[in-house]
Amino acid sequence: MFLYQLRNELWKLFGKKRTYVGFVIFLLAQTLILLLFRFAVGPTRQMTRLLELNGFEPKEYISSLTVATFMLFPIAYLLLPLFVALVGGDLVAKEAEDGTLRMILSRPVTRLRLLAVKWLAGAIFAFFLSLALGLTGLASAACCFPWGHLFVTNPGEPFAVFDAAAGLRCFFAAHLMLSVKAVSIMGLAFMFSCFNVKPATATILAVALIFVSSILQNIPFFSDFTPWFLTYHLDVWRQLLAAPVSWWKVGQSLSLLAGFNLSFFVIGSTAFYVRDIKS
Amino acid sequence: MIELTNLDKAFGRRLAVANLSLAVPRGEIFGLLGHNGAGKSTAIGMMLGQVWPSRGEVRVGGFDVLTQRTKALQKVGAIFETPVFYDYLSGWRNLEIFSHYTCPVSRQRLAEVVEWVGLTGREHSRVKTYSHGMRTRLALAQALLPNPELLILDEPSDGLDPGGIHEMRQTILRLHRELGLTILLSSHLLNEVEQLCTRICVLHQGHKVYEGTLAEATQTRNCVRLQTGDFPAAVRMLEASGLITGSRDGKYVILAEGTGTDRVVKQLVAENLPVFEIAREDRTLESFYLNLMQQHGGKTPPTLPPAN
Repeated sequence: MFLYQLRNELWKLFGKKRTYVGFVIFLLAQTLILLLFRFAVGPTRQMTRLLELNGFEPKEYISSLTVATFMLFPIAYLLLPLFVALVGGDLVAKEAEDGTLRMILSRPVTRLRLLAVKWLAGAIFAFFLSLALGLTGLASAACCFPWGHLFVTNPGEPFAVFDAAAGLRCFFAAHLMLSVKAVSIMGLAFMFSCFNVKPATATILAVALIFVSSILQNIPFFSDFTPWFLTYHLDVWRQLLAAPVSWWKVGQSLSLLAGFNLSFFVIGSTAFYVRDIKS
Repeated sequence: MIELTNLDKAFGRRLAVANLSLAVPRGEIFGLLGHNGAGKSTAIGMMLGQVWPSRGEVRVGGFDVLTQRTKALQKVGAIFETPVFYDYLSGWRNLEIFSHYTCPVSRQRLAEVVEWVGLTGREHSRVKTYSHGMRTRLALAQALLPNPELLILDEPSDGLDPGGIHEMRQTILRLHRELGLTILLSSHLLNEVEQLCTRICVLHQGHKVYEGTLAEATQTRNCVRLQTGDFPAAVRMLEASGLITGSRDGKYVILAEGTGTDRVVKQLVAENLPVFEIAREDRTLESFYLNLMQQHGGKTPPTLPPAN
């Protein structure tokens, strides 16, 4: 039954056109960044200079893998939170707004079960969105740049270099961790969606919270409190693009994110449980 | 089938349902009546475990909805005023989605129900291409899929044209007759309730103001309409002779126990008062309802449809 219900949730989710907006916008953003990287002199020149200064051969490192990773940063920071929050915010609130939630809850399904199925469907969407981001990024970069080693300029961190095979592994491992970020933001929006609010309100609240956390985290005054911010742990994917990888930081962030996600779910399901569902 | 005991529901400081006790026996078509905001939908919400009561007990099929909701709703189907579906999916897919919240349903059972409601041929079209009538039929199909014993219909004829209302009425009767379902019907259409229900409950501002059979509500055993040359004089004369106990509305007299209309006519004719018409008259549900609302200080609904 649970699998049937999960399949149904996925039908509902992937049957909607707006679910695909994120995929389309990612593709457009990647194309735009790629064109800028390919035809504007600035980014390539800067990267060439940095590589030369450190004794690396730019031709080997300005590769499709490097460009795909370069494209990842703005999208992961700006677009990904928006689209996963959009879907997470819709999951419960949109059904309540449309009236289908009342139809579902005239059935002998528990509210907790319903939320668990919905959350899982949202998590599957977030995972596929992150995976699609990596695949389309690499595929589009491969159209304009040759295959080669990976050079990562991680903002606020020392740069890192990897040979092609290790670079590809890091690239996909980072996307796997990026999916944890996507699932967490989806979970945050999902929590707000469980309250008696409009879908847009749930999305806006989640995105606003992420941006506020990000802004506070980057204010020097709060530098001592950085590990207390949600966004600091959401950036766990960046750890996988560092050399060497700080595994204890990865473990710490993952366990804290698991705790955050559980808390979001518990708060959301409690709010949903005590709610009256009316037309 | 449904038992509500001392049920209260407050939204903030407003009491939407107050001390409601109600019993819907198995096999009945039970009508729930009341103005907008009388508490009908809240009461239905509490029966389905969608609205939490502030006080009291709700039992459906013998199970407490608050503590055994899954068991209580296992054999329940429901339709709400405006049938809402996932418009971007087909009718068939919608039926699969809703039915799987109760139990897995075979394709054969789905096809049977689709045929029963008359949607065969359109079940694989997207719901956004359906007319209001087709959506109502789809709503009925989803309500019938779990093989219900109880059907809760909250304003099922809302928004339907006269043909659709007639079709819905026939369908409800067919469901009752062929499948033996217990049906709880909440409706504003008094003539619909009058033609369908055997028992009714009237709610007014969250309070139950009447519960009983429809026959009891509409029957006025001793009330007869009298048309005569001088109604006040006839009333005085009949009261003096003990044949009636009172009158109302300038045209009705209440017969004394054991008095027949023949004796009234005989008396009036003997006193040289012409009798043009005398007839027993049952009230319509509408007149009963409006009278009840007036007694409880309610306003009459502005869009109340006329009773047949």
